[in-house]
Amino acid sequence: MSALWQVLVAIFWWVIHTLLEPIWNARWVALPPLTGVMMMAMIVGAVLVAPREIVEGEVQRLMYIHVPVATISYLAFFVTAVASAIFLIGRDMRWDAIARGAATVGIMLTAFALLTGAIWGKPTWGVYWSWDARLTATLVLFLIYSGYLLARAVGGPNDEQAARYAAVVGIIGYIDIPLIHFSVDWWRTLHPQRIIFAPKPALPGEMLLVLLLGFLGILFLTLWLITLRGTTEYLVQRADRVRARLDQLERA
Amino acid sequence: MSSALAVFRKDLQLAWRDRSGWLSALAFATISVLVYSFAFDLATADIRPLLPGVLWTTFLFSGIFATSQSFQRESETGTFDAMLVAPVSPSTIYVGKLISNLISLLIVELALLVLTTILFDTPLLTGELVLVVFVGTVGYVSLATLLSTLGSRGSARAVLLPVLALPLLVPLLIASVRATGAALGAPIDSAPWLLLLVIFALWSTIGGALLFPVVSER
Amino acid sequence: MTTAVPAIAAFDLTKRYGGIAVVSNISFSLRAGSKIALLGHNGAGKSTLLGLLSTLITRTSGDASIAGHAISTNPIELRRNIGVLAHLPMVYEELSPLENLEFFARLYEVPEAATRIEELLRAVGLWRRRREPTSILSRGYHQRLALARAVLHRPAVLLLDEPETGLDPAGIALLDQLALDNPAVTVLAATHLVDRVDRWADGVLRLDRGCVVEAPDPVTAEVSS
Repeated sequence: MSALWQVLVAIFWWVIHTLLEPIWNARWVALPPLTGVMMMAMIVGAVLVAPREIVEGEVQRLMYIHVPVATISYLAFFVTAVASAIFLIGRDMRWDAIARGAATVGIMLTAFALLTGAIWGKPTWGVYWSWDARLTATLVLFLIYSGYLLARAVGGPNDEQAARYAAVVGIIGYIDIPLIHFSVDWWRTLHPQRIIFAPKPALPGEMLLVLLLGFLGILFLTLWLITLRGTTEYLVQRADRVRARLDQLERA
Repeated sequence: MSSALAVFRKDLQLAWRDRSGWLSALAFATISVLVYSFAFDLATADIRPLLPGVLWTTFLFSGIFATSQSFQRESETGTFDAMLVAPVSPSTIYVGKLISNLISLLIVELALLVLTTILFDTPLLTGELVLVVFVGTVGYVSLATLLSTLGSRGSARAVLLPVLALPLLVPLLIASVRATGAALGAPIDSAPWLLLLVIFALWSTIGGALLFPVVSER
Repeated sequence: MTTAVPAIAAFDLTKRYGGIAVVSNISFSLRAGSKIALLGHNGAGKSTLLGLLSTLITRTSGDASIAGHAISTNPIELRRNIGVLAHLPMVYEELSPLENLEFFARLYEVPEAATRIEELLRAVGLWRRRREPTSILSRGYHQRLALARAVLHRPAVLLLDEPETGLDPAGIALLDQLALDNPAVTVLAATHLVDRVDRWADGVLRLDRGCVVEAPDPVTAEVSS
């Protein structure tokens, strides 16, 4: 590796450390209250502040949670993909814990997005599932990362080979996303039917505000859950190592 | 590269010796078409809209099954290790395996196209269709070859392979079915399906070659 | 004649599976041309060590080198210099002995392959049966074929895991001829046939629970603990 490359990498890590390390260290202190506040703001906004939508009625308020959840699930899986890549480079199992934790959170978010989509869909358009391009792509993503978790679960918390294999799935799954979106999108445009998420006339200011609150709330919630779940996976790894060591000592 | 060809040649020899391997893939493919024929009543007049779907689901399932079989056998007898211990990079082994899996599956697909032509009285062996089948096959075979290493560990369940591969193959499935439909004369839609197939094939082959060393380590 | 480069050397080589160190900080240095017996109870880490040295198993930490090529930097060149015998014969059952060796000869780019293959097949007694499918051969002949595969490319170093398995006395004599008594190779062989060790080994590398408890002197290959 040339000297220039090493210098660039060193600068990159310095930036990461000085900027993110204080945030990282403060995560247990900062994230829960931030999440709480933002989620409360979102709920209050969605239920009380946002105006009632004329056509769709109260159920439309689900949009304030459905859209952020669906969007931020992509962030969670992005964390999985990046953590998987870092794991493959350095073989540090802690990154595998983060990847696995983020994938679990992503799966939760995607499932919730699909569920709220169905609840919103039935009273509004008469169907639980409409093969809308974006929701269908979300479903495929759900299946891909369920596969990731299944593949990772083979062999146990410290199985490096399973971790490597799953990391590969985690990375190629994410790179597949644009292809999934294009193909499903083009596929749906062949079938003229009611378009669910048509570009609506610009949302009034209060709705946009609440939507923004929703994004922030779900963002912090996701960050917090990923931190929790990633730490859990890491502790499971450690506990498994301790148990294995105890077994070994007992046998000796 | 000569090592990749050596691996490919060896795989062809193996396939010829143990014909039961791709004969069962062929049998599976044939049975699938029959199952679809009964399930979707394909004896009726114009089944052309359904044909691409029938073909590609059959191809994908046979393909995943065949690549995982091929890998399982190598890992059981230790011969995969024999290749890993040779002075070749695992990516070279991947290329060799990819070419041999590709050829095996293309043969099965060709046979299936002939069969379907006869069964449904539809000319299927046009240049355009064969091209689509070729590019699509490269796409799914390269991904399946990469993922087939899942079976190398004792505790892994081989049934997991379709669960992993098929969601990842959704773009390929959609694009292949539509492009095949276009080749059969369905009304043209404006989406560049063949381009998507080519991109998928490139992405999955390059990704496979780069990542195969990672999944073949112990 | 002492060369500075040891044939096989390990530096703090460690392999962990989920926190348990199967091979733990192993260091040793084996002189070129020496024949070293790898001894230890079941589970001591012998097969794992051989797997690590042949690059089949990825190390957790530490390094090793064979003929000067380190696992960390030159694994492909390293593998060019080794012949491996593992628990499984690592040969293709559907192919004949001849086809098996032809494949491996291509893989290893063995020069004048046809001559070399014939020489080895005759030596292991498979020349007359060279075109029969390997699956019908007995266990002993499988092992002989595996041995031929291991030495096909004239590697400088042989990593053998219980090579006597399945061999009759004639087969063991072949093993001695091709490997254990062959002056041109360095051999690290795990074995349970302790009685034979004095006959062929210059030194002993003994493992216990993943650690070295006895290692040969790097220069004279005599045993020291």
